[in-house]
Amino acid sequence: MGIAFPIPDNAIILRREAIISGLSALIPPESLITSEDERRAFETDALTSYRRMPLAVVLPTTTEEVAAILAFCNENGVKVVPRGAGTSLAGGAIPQEDAIVLGVGKMNKVLDINFGDRTMRVQSGITNLAISAEVAHKGFFYAPDPSSQLACTIAGNIAMNSGGAHCLRYGVTTNNILGVRMVLIDGTVVDIGSDAMDAQGLDLLGLIIGSEGQLGVVTEAIVRILPMAEGARPVLFGFETSEEAGACVAAIIGAGIIPVAMEFMDKPAIEICEAFAHAGYPLDAGALLIIEVEGSDAEMDAMLKKIVTIAKKHGVKTVKESKSATETAAIWKGRKSAFGATGRIADYICMDGTIPTGQLPYVLRRIDEIVKSYGLRVANVFHAGDGNLHPLILYNCNDPEEANKAEEAGNDILKLCVEVGGCLTGEHGVGIEKRDLMRHQFTDIDLGQQMRVRAVFDPKWLLNPAKVFPLDGRISP
Amino acid sequence: MQTNFTPEALQNPAMQASEKILRTCVHCGFCTATCPTYLLLGDELDSPRGRIYLIKDMLENNRPATPQVVKHVDRCLSCLSCMTTCPSGVNYMHLVDHARSHIEKTHRRSFSDRVFRGILAAVLPYPNRFRVALLGAAIAKVFTPVLRHLPGIGARIEAMLSLAPRMIGGRSPLERPQIVSSEGPRRARVALLTGCAQPVLNPGINEATVRLLNRMSVEIVIPKDEGCCGALVHHMGHEAESHSFAKKNIAAWISESEGEGLDAIIITASGCGTTIKDYGFMFRNDPEWAEKAAKVSMLAKDITEFLATHELPAIVRATSHTVAYHSACSMQHGQQIRDEPKKLLKSVGFNVKDVPEGHICCGSAGTYNILQPEIAGKLRSRKVANIQKIAPEIIATGNLGCMTQIGKGLSDTNDSTPIVHTVELLDWITGGPTPKAIEKAGLKADIAINTLAAE
Amino acid sequence: MSAPSLFAEQELIDSVHAARKAATPLSIIGSGTKSQIGRPAQSDKTLSTAALTGITLHEPAEMVIAARSGTPLAEVERRLADKKQMLPFEPMDYRPLLGSTGEPTIGGVVAANLSGPRRIMAGACRDSLIGIRLVNGKGELVKSGGRVMKNVTGLDLVKLVCGSWGTLGVLTEVTFKVLPKPQRSATLVLHGLDDANAIAALSAGLGSPFEVSGAAHLPNGVERVSATLLRLEGFDEQITYRLDALKKQLHRFAAADYVEGARSAALWRSVRDATFLVEPRENAVWRISIAPSKAAKIIAEIKKSLTIRHFYDWGGGLIWLSLPATGDAGAAAIRSALFGTGGYATLVRGPADIRAAIDVFEPLSPALRVLTAGIKQSFDPDGLFNPGRMIAGI
Repeated sequence: MGIAFPIPDNAIILRREAIISGLSALIPPESLITSEDERRAFETDALTSYRRMPLAVVLPTTTEEVAAILAFCNENGVKVVPRGAGTSLAGGAIPQEDAIVLGVGKMNKVLDINFGDRTMRVQSGITNLAISAEVAHKGFFYAPDPSSQLACTIAGNIAMNSGGAHCLRYGVTTNNILGVRMVLIDGTVVDIGSDAMDAQGLDLLGLIIGSEGQLGVVTEAIVRILPMAEGARPVLFGFETSEEAGACVAAIIGAGIIPVAMEFMDKPAIEICEAFAHAGYPLDAGALLIIEVEGSDAEMDAMLKKIVTIAKKHGVKTVKESKSATETAAIWKGRKSAFGATGRIADYICMDGTIPTGQLPYVLRRIDEIVKSYGLRVANVFHAGDGNLHPLILYNCNDPEEANKAEEAGNDILKLCVEVGGCLTGEHGVGIEKRDLMRHQFTDIDLGQQMRVRAVFDPKWLLNPAKVFPLDGRISP
Repeated sequence: MQTNFTPEALQNPAMQASEKILRTCVHCGFCTATCPTYLLLGDELDSPRGRIYLIKDMLENNRPATPQVVKHVDRCLSCLSCMTTCPSGVNYMHLVDHARSHIEKTHRRSFSDRVFRGILAAVLPYPNRFRVALLGAAIAKVFTPVLRHLPGIGARIEAMLSLAPRMIGGRSPLERPQIVSSEGPRRARVALLTGCAQPVLNPGINEATVRLLNRMSVEIVIPKDEGCCGALVHHMGHEAESHSFAKKNIAAWISESEGEGLDAIIITASGCGTTIKDYGFMFRNDPEWAEKAAKVSMLAKDITEFLATHELPAIVRATSHTVAYHSACSMQHGQQIRDEPKKLLKSVGFNVKDVPEGHICCGSAGTYNILQPEIAGKLRSRKVANIQKIAPEIIATGNLGCMTQIGKGLSDTNDSTPIVHTVELLDWITGGPTPKAIEKAGLKADIAINTLAAE
Repeated sequence: MSAPSLFAEQELIDSVHAARKAATPLSIIGSGTKSQIGRPAQSDKTLSTAALTGITLHEPAEMVIAARSGTPLAEVERRLADKKQMLPFEPMDYRPLLGSTGEPTIGGVVAANLSGPRRIMAGACRDSLIGIRLVNGKGELVKSGGRVMKNVTGLDLVKLVCGSWGTLGVLTEVTFKVLPKPQRSATLVLHGLDDANAIAALSAGLGSPFEVSGAAHLPNGVERVSATLLRLEGFDEQITYRLDALKKQLHRFAAADYVEGARSAALWRSVRDATFLVEPRENAVWRISIAPSKAAKIIAEIKKSLTIRHFYDWGGGLIWLSLPATGDAGAAAIRSALFGTGGYATLVRGPADIRAAIDVFEPLSPALRVLTAGIKQSFDPDGLFNPGRMIAGI
């Protein structure tokens, strides 16, 4: 496939035994994985078309262990690829032969909850959904809800600045984190931010969130928790065409209504999701909007009345309101399992670009054209309210030709996103997937400034080095 | 995911089936979130996704299983929680079954491991041998403090002994082949799986089942030559042995089905139900047995599944006791039976509550609690703590293994809450005797008012 | 971009090159309304963005607006109001507090990360900022972010630059995600609560499902009778329902009445601009950020050694306090009280000699100092922009 990895440093590989010996002095045996069979399970993430065997895998249980490991790697020039739950769709957790994988999955405890301040302190290996589950009994939740929230860790969310369907209303990860404890490559443990709002001095927290594991390893985080609304109701709106659906979205926003989520699906996606979740998605619709409102019953009724009026002006054919908690769960299960459910019918690459919402109909048309020109199929799912698209390019991954075509189609789509004023990635991150397209969005000056900032944290390019920045033209001080 | 099986390898039907399964996995990782071992260990290798990857590599290269692969596959509970969670429809059960049989064929276990497993396979599926073994266990219990220190097997022996009951009752009248009819016109005719461990450890479950079904004018036949369903040895990867057990049962039930006829084969242990419903798949490529096995799988019904589609007898006792319904993995994940048991209990008056983290295994998982005592013990404590959070008066479930496992956990915390089979409660409320465990706990249910009025 | 503005941007770039060549540090200003915040300027030359004006993008349906950095804030707000939209973070006007004159620019808002009462619900300026163009200390034009909110491409320099007080570069254009202006706005007022109970009431309100968009407490040092304020914003029928529901929920603290319309707006403008502490002019004014549950204790601690007037915003998470500008203007006592609490304090008003002598911004831990210095270096290797504005030596 088309994405290159850096040439592994042979000197490191030759010293493998010594490196493993060094690591074994820092962590207990069950936290160190060295056999070939076992390392293989860590050679990829959710972008399985790319796989690289790591030198070894470490699964520390404390910040101190992480610090010792990083300091050791820094001294010995060993690269480190941090890993949460390995659910990255952009190859963010794919290692390389001269790197160790540092997984935070064993550090998954809740450390402190303060309902009055609406903050929680957690270890970074805890899953996104587990954070919300911990405070649900008191009527609170952690807002950013990437579709993989069941399994993904807050560490991964912080690395990628993950979003989710409900971020239209509640913001993304960077708007919901107050502080982190991070270990730098030289083993220094630094606390950035705190339980007070607005971190002191330069917004290093804002810089770290979305830095894709290249500035340090986050071991703890202080997150904001929000009160749950009195009720939430998703409604399915079936349209004949995506143009109508797109125009409806614009009109709703124009009327000053910001629903808590507005998700779009085209016909292929509707069929895929309905087959898994049986949530009652209209199978005759050309495009579907899932719009969720929150509030008391009366408030939701009033809000929905407004929305339905607007939808009717834009040709809505079916309106189906959830009437129970079970129905609501099924509707969201369908949407959130869209990617995995696609696996029932074909292999796929899940793209992630953002466009100005006004460009929706044009871009959807162009995506269709692009994918067809490669002889492939596509299903579209996306966050209509903020223009973050997830075209699922369907292909057969056992066919190398189709695999290449799918990758190229994906690249063309992302370039298109940038062309119309959007960006390469809305929430999945650059990883390796979009790394070689970075110059479509940034000038060398832009990239140079970013790399100089990066160098402040990791001058030797030891942390997750194959990712984000094009392999050529890298800056080392 | 991409697979790399050679065309020759795919000629093998087992490989072909597994390749299909591997192709559906998209490596999304959702399954890790609901896997009990991943929850405890935080290690990709002890998650379904990691196991799938290990198995894939092993089967693609048709390599003998390495100790590492064996370690992680052995740790799998086969709870199938992952299958409930998987959005892509990966049939993990069939994949891990294949892996287990591949392991048994290509990997030589340590001496003590082989002996231990051999003993379990030779004893548990045979009620007479099991009875003798339990007598032995009752004596050996005294030596636990010494035995637990035996290298390699000490922990397993301790686990085994701790799970053995102090004493067992006499042989149940239901243990021999027979037909139990009710008075009046017959509404249905069913076969009842007597099972292997259940009649020895808790004959009351099937006795309650027979009473209840009779009350519903259902005729029950316990066919000749019926025996262990084979799940136990199947989960150890002993394919030939498990097929042998299955064939005996299939023959016995088909004989009844083609004779007097059968409306269903009733199973009162959900662990067995999952396996019997899989007989059709197990024999899909065997021309002699395929159709019969498929018929059996179609007829197989968990007792609660059967009761949910028939009218229960009238309520004879009034109750509003709080019942925590423990949904066994084989019930909720293996057979996708979730609501029926709860609805049944509610319909006779119980106040039914769900157990927090109900989708996570109690650690019984067949012989898992003997073979993997450490992990099983942690899961047991977690399950008991979750049950205690809702403070029920009674715990009900549909699988004997869970009853034994959770029962041990309760007694470890000096908790005397009775744990019974769902069918025992339904029998009790519709006219049967008070289940022993309920009696022991001192719980009562008064005669219902309508019954009094009828008198 | 229009010709005059391209010209203005190029002029700016040329000025930076010139300053670099001559090794002359620069004070960066919009119109200088906040020049008195921070450590005193260590440069003689000033570089102003005043010529860089104009709104470059406004798509109401996409809730996005972009403007050149020298554009007056008032102009941006007017343009948004025309389409019934607003900047969610409610930037404050520092002029009353500082006694400064001039027209605050949108660039200055970003450089100072100005965030008013609505910050607790809608986020700070840095949460609404989605794109920037700036000239760094090498005279390079750097852009980060863009015009879409969901954007995780590369390192997030947008967040880094927001609130950097002009020390990393000169902003030339900024892009925001905006929100619709609420149809109706009302404020619940509870009287007579002490600090601890007031914050508990605010926490209860903020923990309710009613989307409280402003939570402040005015102790009886700034008001005759203490007033605890909770603002609700939304559609008409929503507010009617929510006012009543919230009132009921907070009844255990105190009875509440409410104000609306112009009165409500005026109240929050005062909270936003800290007008309660404008007088006496000679007093120093501090801004403290702390977890609300610790706020009342901190104030009690500070009061042990200092005479202060104070009030709370952000549900207790922001404390404004004023005290005589003598000695170190309370710096040692305040920092000592905050030690180990995760809170931090910034002196926003004080005479130049005090600002030169003390830590105006919260001192950095050694590790953070190294990172901050490194980042400054990566943007501005010759230390041209506002040297020492935030931290001495950086």
